[in-house]
Amino acid sequence: MSAKQFEAFLARLYVDADSRARFRANPLAEAKNAGLSNAESKALENIDWVGLKMASQGFANKRELRRPRSWFSSLTDRLLRLISFLSDRVRQGRGS
Amino acid sequence: MAGVAAAGAETMNAICDTVGIGWRPELAAGILDHHDRIDLVEVIADDFFGEQRRLRALKTLSAQVPVVLHGVGLGLASASAVETWRIERMAHLVESISPLSWSEHLAFVRADGIEIGHLAAPPRSDATVDGAAENLLRASRIVGVKPIMENIATLIEPPGSALDEASWISKILSASDCDLLLDLHNVFANGLNHGYDPKEFLRQIPAGRIRAIHIAGGKLISAPDGTQRVLDDHLHDVPDPVFDLLEEAAALSLNPLSVILERDGSYPSMESLLAEVSQARLALARGRAREAERIEVPG
Repeated sequence: MSAKQFEAFLARLYVDADSRARFRANPLAEAKNAGLSNAESKALENIDWVGLKMASQGFANKRELRRPRSWFSSLTDRLLRLISFLSDRVRQGRGS
Repeated sequence: MAGVAAAGAETMNAICDTVGIGWRPELAAGILDHHDRIDLVEVIADDFFGEQRRLRALKTLSAQVPVVLHGVGLGLASASAVETWRIERMAHLVESISPLSWSEHLAFVRADGIEIGHLAAPPRSDATVDGAAENLLRASRIVGVKPIMENIATLIEPPGSALDEASWISKILSASDCDLLLDLHNVFANGLNHGYDPKEFLRQIPAGRIRAIHIAGGKLISAPDGTQRVLDDHLHDVPDPVFDLLEEAAALSLNPLSVILERDGSYPSMESLLAEVSQARLALARGRAREAERIEVPG
């Protein structure tokens, strides 16, 4: 088991409710099925369940927030374009 | 750019710290209207990747206001190597904008093709110290400038950790020779959530590495077990303990510090934000005065 696989296992727990449910039902078996060592399985068995639930919810909220972000982005676009336009006008005014 | 309003605090602050605000579309007009009271703005780098028109506008902005770039999507604190194209995207932006500095997070954001969607704390182990150091050295080489690395807030103590947070951060900074962007609300939140003293944490990290600081506000949320934890949502005013930590950081560090006020929503008036900027200047000045006292009167 490598540190990379351990991170992947954690990432799956953070984003996938089914993986979390399976893991909650039988932590040691799920960890071992994923190829984790005994020590790593033990570390996961002692996971902060409350923290895991709250963190997973937080990550889900953030992923959700990304969708309506497009209108934020377009607003950024428009504002920055306006700044650019005004700045060009000022430069042109100075130049003439 | 520090203006008249800041002059009092600035004269007390011989180290020339700077204070600014995180650039957000909703704050753009207010920031530009009051740029004489703001020293710099921090722009989220990821919003500009591959966007030529936006990039041109950002160049215009950076010609008017000192800019620092802040990345959120590289996931450098990982045992896995970050893809080169992601780092090159940052390199292109840094080259185009020539910011005062660029920063990223001590977090992983993806693993084995799974996108977590936000900043996650990896296991604090020697393996992630080595992985992060390797990623940071490669990022520094490709971008041409070392990133300043930010500590993150986490609602869960990362499982599989063999090191405490302060030791883990210190080891990565030492191995990569990178400086620290110290997010004080993250320290405050982690301290409350995981039971440590934030001021003690500040004494455990290398003060000489602190170059930049984030301040923000969050809220208490109820946990399923009936306890409460602090959520770092950037939607609330900066709480007093965070200003106390800012004073503490200024008393510990000899470096000029760039402080950024982060606000991501529930925006108050610009005057309220500027009042927080002023509070930050005062906290810095108090810390610097303590530092000067300490240097003048050894022991």
